[in-house]
Amino acid sequence: MQYEQQNSDALVDMIDIHKHFGSVQVLRGVDFHVDRQEIVGLLGDNGAGKSTLIKVLTGFHSLTRGQIYFDGEAVNIYSPHDARELGIETVHQDLALVPLMSIARNFWLGQEPTYEVGPFRFLDKKMMARESISALADVGIHIRDSEETVGTMSGGERQSIAIGRAVYFGKKLLILDEPTSALSVGETQKVLDYTIAAKEKGMSVIFITHNIRHVYEVADRFTIIERGHKLGDFYKSEVTENEVADMIVTGQIPERLRLYDEEGGEPI
Amino acid sequence: MIQAYLEGKREAQTQGVIVLAIIFGFAVLGAIIAFRTSFGWMPLGERANILRSDINALEFIVAVASLIYAMGCLRTAFGLRNREASSLRWSQWMYFITIMIGGAILLSVIIPVGLKFSLLLGQEADLRIIIENDIGGLAPLALSTGEALISISLLVAAFVALVALLVFLIPQLESLRETEGIRLIVAPPQRFVLAIITVLAVGVIFVLIAGAAVVPLYPGTTTIRDAENHRLAAGLLFFLPGLFGYRLVRQVEEQSDELRRALALTPGKFIRSELAKSPSAGAIIGFIAIFMAFTMATDLFLEPSSVASFLSNVATKGVIAIGVTYLMISGEFDLSVGSILGVTALSFMNFMTHGAPIFGVMEPVPAAMLAIFMAFVLGAINGVILISTRIPSFIVTLGTMLAFRAITLVAIAGGRILRYSDHHEALPVIGISNIVFLALAIIGLLIVAYTAYRVLPALYRGATHAWSIHTNNGDFGTTGAIARTALLLLVVLILAAIVVWLVAVLSYHGNAGGGEIVEVGYFDLFNGRVLSIGSEDDFLHVQIPRNANVRLAIVWWFIFVIIFHVILTNTSFGNSIFATGGNEGAARAQGVNVDRVKLQNFVIVAVLTGIAAIYETARNPGVDPLKGTGWELEVIAMTVIGGALLTGGYGSVVGSLLGALIFGMLQTGLVLVGIESRLFSGTIGVIIIAAVVLNTLVRGARQN
Repeated sequence: MQYEQQNSDALVDMIDIHKHFGSVQVLRGVDFHVDRQEIVGLLGDNGAGKSTLIKVLTGFHSLTRGQIYFDGEAVNIYSPHDARELGIETVHQDLALVPLMSIARNFWLGQEPTYEVGPFRFLDKKMMARESISALADVGIHIRDSEETVGTMSGGERQSIAIGRAVYFGKKLLILDEPTSALSVGETQKVLDYTIAAKEKGMSVIFITHNIRHVYEVADRFTIIERGHKLGDFYKSEVTENEVADMIVTGQIPERLRLYDEEGGEPI
Repeated sequence: MIQAYLEGKREAQTQGVIVLAIIFGFAVLGAIIAFRTSFGWMPLGERANILRSDINALEFIVAVASLIYAMGCLRTAFGLRNREASSLRWSQWMYFITIMIGGAILLSVIIPVGLKFSLLLGQEADLRIIIENDIGGLAPLALSTGEALISISLLVAAFVALVALLVFLIPQLESLRETEGIRLIVAPPQRFVLAIITVLAVGVIFVLIAGAAVVPLYPGTTTIRDAENHRLAAGLLFFLPGLFGYRLVRQVEEQSDELRRALALTPGKFIRSELAKSPSAGAIIGFIAIFMAFTMATDLFLEPSSVASFLSNVATKGVIAIGVTYLMISGEFDLSVGSILGVTALSFMNFMTHGAPIFGVMEPVPAAMLAIFMAFVLGAINGVILISTRIPSFIVTLGTMLAFRAITLVAIAGGRILRYSDHHEALPVIGISNIVFLALAIIGLLIVAYTAYRVLPALYRGATHAWSIHTNNGDFGTTGAIARTALLLLVVLILAAIVVWLVAVLSYHGNAGGGEIVEVGYFDLFNGRVLSIGSEDDFLHVQIPRNANVRLAIVWWFIFVIIFHVILTNTSFGNSIFATGGNEGAARAQGVNVDRVKLQNFVIVAVLTGIAAIYETARNPGVDPLKGTGWELEVIAMTVIGGALLTGGYGSVVGSLLGALIFGMLQTGLVLVGIESRLFSGTIGVIIIAAVVLNTLVRGARQN
């Protein structure tokens, strides 16, 4: 089956994505796109398939059917490494950092800077320490000692470091999977600031959450997923916060919006 | 208090003078010891000194050390008198060192007495009657009181454990948990636990007192050093005033001031925080404790022959432990190393005696390579099964352990032993061209040059910086600068000595002309006995005693430790190993190929096991079908003692080295002090648990 890219200037265009785990159909033909320098709030109740959609995009799961276009080209993403190569950085809900490792080592994990001595390549520890401290400071995270283990830090601090790392390395797309679910009000505000910082750096952001209040402020557009289907795309100018919240809960598009939304979900 | 004295406050005058007086007393004491030992008036070790000029190495070390100690104390006293700010830090450290010295001297009496007394109680059936009848004074009373106290406290502890167990196990008793009296037992307050421990300690002290009375009656019956009561006095002379003084100088009012914060870092806190940085803190403490205990208990322990024997015994297992550490850090586990060792040893021997399918009967070096390749394949089998089926490595390697063992059992039927000497008349010999030695020397020089390039500039900067710090900033001032400079000079000297030696080797082999052949036994190359370093008239010459069994595998082991330590801590591969074990999902999300890391680690373990198998067979050229049985658990024990977490993500190669050394010291040391060697596995069991508890405690301290 051939797929045509629908939004030709979109950064990411995922078309007719199906994902089955055995007989369980988690995603049943979802179309999803992200434009350049756009913050998309990917919303849906628990178990709607948001995280699966993202894990397909980041190479954690292979897709059962469908096609992904990235930067205008059809791509096959088989592993998280492939996704990283494309310029996609992800902050996972539970898979952010290694608690027993130091901040610097966590920061550079998977792409450590090295120097060469003959045929051997050794970690450039000085650069790792220096750069991680300054890079985190750039996004407003101030740490004292890059040798401190992550396990000693609070949930908010860890999340900050994970996001700071993603912003630093991210070239094109930053994905935040439930970044605020375990955070205090102040820490949530910080995460939202980082999100805007990433957009100003020229990146697009996918912000996944089931709590509209956290994302309404910063997002340009909302995509709502409901039981493996896409309910619809809504620009912030079109909807109020309460309408989005209702849609997540009820899984139905309000009467008023059905006219405006061409793509619309199938009315249930 | 001393802070106030240094600031010149009148009310702290007395304390200041006391601290000053004690430290001055220690200076005098240190000077006396230095003087007496260096002129032979205070013989140390197993000898009666006659000539004043004739002092042995131990006495020389003691004399120099106590002279330095005396100078340190004198410097501290001088600083206190002049009310220098830095003298507070000085006195903290000097008192701390004094406590350590006193404690060590006390232990060197207590440990032998305790060990010997318990051995005597075990050996002499009528010892108890002798104590009851013949020894007057405190001894019988102390023994019975002590035993009673120990029994009571153990009984109380057992009762508490039993009640707690019942209340938690039997659902009907669950309601009792909240009852006042029961709660006291189920969740005892700290005071209660402390009380039990105190009673236990008092009991042990009483028994020791009895021991001190009895042990002198049995001189020379064991290899354990006899009690020397003058040591007790000397130890107390250092320990008690030291403790008193340390308590006085330890309290520092913490203020935001930089200097105050530096002072608040007392030696105790400093050492604790330094230890907490290392994954193998438990192993470091255990190593020091066990090493000191055996050294104090018997003079035989530091004999070259004992040290050589325990190093030789654990060297091969230590090599495997390096690999197992890697695997454990990445969160996996290998039970099959013993069987892999058996298969590799068998193949190695078989290739040399009966021949391999295509190659025929092989020379030792190609045979070793092919055998190690076999190990490589076996490790890859483990890894591939694990990553393709995703079943736990415990199960995978349990299966392959049994399966690989079948290979040796089938290949050598009927419990025979495959011996090299049954098939060849003489052990193999290899001629090595001296060009190889020239090349090795040049490589050595390059390594030295690189080390100097990396290390010296930093040391030099540190030393010059230390000179620029003013004395009165709470640091050690000039003395710190002197120490740093001395360190710099020492490193330069060591490097220079190595260079001189390598140049000597170069010129020796260079003069002989290229192409001269030196004959070396093949097996000696793998794991031969080392008799001397350098020949008689070389610049650097060490003659190793005839009875010391120094094996080349020890050298290989240390080389492997260095290489694999660097790989683990200084390469991105090492980083991914830690990440894989620490949080597999996070590692995968950051693009680490987790499966490949695990496969690589299984192969590393297997290849290191293969190399160890070559060492084993080279040491004793014969293979039996059960070779390596039980090694897997011993190696895991070494690794766990060394601080690696069974759950992955934490550990160090140096830890595995320490774990193996602890293992070896116990194996040799227990025999030397005359304890049943059958108690070895029991002791190791206790040590494993204690080491892991210590590691956990230290890690906990780090988290806070």
